[in-house]
Amino acid sequence: MRFIFVTVGKELKRRFNDPGGLISSIMIPFVIGFLMAAVMGGGGGQPSIKARLLVTDLDDSFISQGMISALGQDQVADLVQVEKLALETGQQRINEGDGSGHLVIPQGFGEAWLAGEEVALHLTVNPSQSISPRMIREMLESLLDLGDYLHKVFGEELKIISQSLEGDELAVISTRDFSGDIADKISGFADLVFPPVLAVEDVTPQPQSVSVSMALLMFPGVLVMAAFFAANGQSSNFWTEKEKGTLGRWVASPNAFFSFWVAQWFTAMFLTAIVTAPIMLAGFLYLDISFEKYFTSLGWLALTGPVLFAVLSVIQVLAPSRKVGGMIATLVMFPLLMAGGSFFPTETMPEFIVAIAQYTPNGNVVEPLKAYLMGEFGASGMFSDLWGIMAVALMLVLLAGFLSARKALA
Amino acid sequence: MIEVRELQKSYGDLVAVDHVSFSAGAGMVFGLLGPNGAGKSTTISCLSGLLKPTAGSVSVGGFDLASDAVKAKASLGIVPQELAIYEDLSARDNLAYWGAAYGLKGDGLKQRVDHILSRIGLADRAGDLPKEYSGGMKRRLNFGCGLVHEPGVLLLDEPTVGVDPQSRERLFDLVREEKAKGTCVLYTTHYMEEAEKLCDELAIIDHGKIIAAGTLAALRAEFGGSDIIRLSGSFELASVEPLLAELEAELLSLTTEVLMISIRDGARNLPAVLQAISSTGAEIRDTRLSEPNLESLFLKLTGKDLRA
Repeated sequence: MRFIFVTVGKELKRRFNDPGGLISSIMIPFVIGFLMAAVMGGGGGQPSIKARLLVTDLDDSFISQGMISALGQDQVADLVQVEKLALETGQQRINEGDGSGHLVIPQGFGEAWLAGEEVALHLTVNPSQSISPRMIREMLESLLDLGDYLHKVFGEELKIISQSLEGDELAVISTRDFSGDIADKISGFADLVFPPVLAVEDVTPQPQSVSVSMALLMFPGVLVMAAFFAANGQSSNFWTEKEKGTLGRWVASPNAFFSFWVAQWFTAMFLTAIVTAPIMLAGFLYLDISFEKYFTSLGWLALTGPVLFAVLSVIQVLAPSRKVGGMIATLVMFPLLMAGGSFFPTETMPEFIVAIAQYTPNGNVVEPLKAYLMGEFGASGMFSDLWGIMAVALMLVLLAGFLSARKALA
Repeated sequence: MIEVRELQKSYGDLVAVDHVSFSAGAGMVFGLLGPNGAGKSTTISCLSGLLKPTAGSVSVGGFDLASDAVKAKASLGIVPQELAIYEDLSARDNLAYWGAAYGLKGDGLKQRVDHILSRIGLADRAGDLPKEYSGGMKRRLNFGCGLVHEPGVLLLDEPTVGVDPQSRERLFDLVREEKAKGTCVLYTTHYMEEAEKLCDELAIIDHGKIIAAGTLAALRAEFGGSDIIRLSGSFELASVEPLLAELEAELLSLTTEVLMISIRDGARNLPAVLQAISSTGAEIRDTRLSEPNLESLFLKLTGKDLRA
């Protein structure tokens, strides 16, 4: 075990003796990220993300229709695109990942709401998306809050309107009386609402606001891109050591061959941390992210980033030569970077690429980090997938070791 | 210290090492002499655990390499034919790393590294990266990496290939020092002079087989006290060969330009040989008379030049 860490130290020393490689691993993603963010609307700009909400209205009442109409109004319409469809179609589409969420308004919703009874709306969100479902949830919660106030203030009037649309009961109330009641209520509230009698200064500490700037959406992908570049260099070290003859010395030494690969894996962890730390520092400063998240984010990248090294290592050892290995690794790396959200955030991608992203190793590193940085969940939420990712990485590293054992001796 | 029994290594139908057996003890330099492609490096690779033998056994320092690999490998030091050093680590770091690979640590490792740096003549350049070194300096560092853990058995695979004369002499000194310390050295080379200078015992290997083995004196005795006469010029093959029987000489090599024979009492018989060969119409431009050496022995055994 001691020699594994001696080897890690040796590997890091070699990298520091060749600073060009390290600097390019830092600078290339930095520049690409900066350019992409600039091209896609600048660092502080709002992204052109629009959540697609599939709605099935089983109630088909005045109230449920009003609610759906509210989703298509003004600023809400800028964020959400509503599509009405039948229950089965909606379920099928959301299961296929086509849409950000599927809202089912149950039968009897309008009646229950008017009666002030508890009623549940059913929302199914697309797990491959992180931002859009959250937007939908928050918007629906706001809408329901608004509905609650409406019920309290105009509950009776709304009940009358609803009944009149479904029957003939409006006839029993004169239009003058009905309008008068509404006007009285509005004028009664007007003094309180327009303008407020008291100005209240909210001194409650506000929770960290979640920015959805394009730069922030791209930031985790850029970090993983840097980790990917570092991993690519490290994965080709097998060929370097073989060609230099030092791998032969290792095999002739009393150390187990697999420990060579374990040492490479640990080295990949440290390299990932070294390469991403300065980019992360710059990003945290620029995007004004709380530094409380700095070390947990760095830890996440350092521990999960080597999965990229593991994937590339398997490719390298399967290749017949260093040149072929390098070519295949590059051919695999760039599509993975593209699909995994390093060049473009998944929020801006077509649904089928988003579906692919969740199966890419880098996508599995990017998305939890993004959600953590945006405050969707805490560190424990991000680290919940850690063991799975590390286990996959370790298995791939051991596979690389197994596959390379014969090659090392040839 | 090292014992090889019926070692065989095949790649399909190609037999690279064919039932090779030899042994060498402490404080001995054992030479494996043969032309390029004879099977020397394959034998060394089998001995160092880099290749798995097809058949046979290897014992290093009293430990069987197959069943007790860790202990056997721990007592081995290897100096590969190709440089096996990190060019992006200083000489000191290279030595420290390979020392650690064999369990050295702390002050013991540091002292050992300093000692080796001094022995290989790189103490004043210890902090420099090998990519700034000359070829000879890199060779010496390659040598030092194999010595740093004080192995009981040292495998040297053509360590002087591409080395300048000064560095070569320094490497010879290192081999002699190791021998004096009691290290068992296995030395492969295709340079006869090196083998004659350094080796206590030799095995001549060709096409994967050992064709002669023993001390230099014993191998010379194969000639039965004969001397070697080497003539350069222009010869007619058909007319020269019949004369050799009359001269009681043994033909070692005959081309249109070179004739080599072994003959008893060479100095006394040289005039007769020259007269007989000249009588065939041959033009003789150069004549050399020498005692049997490894080159002539190899020629006698294989019919081909060792340097070919």
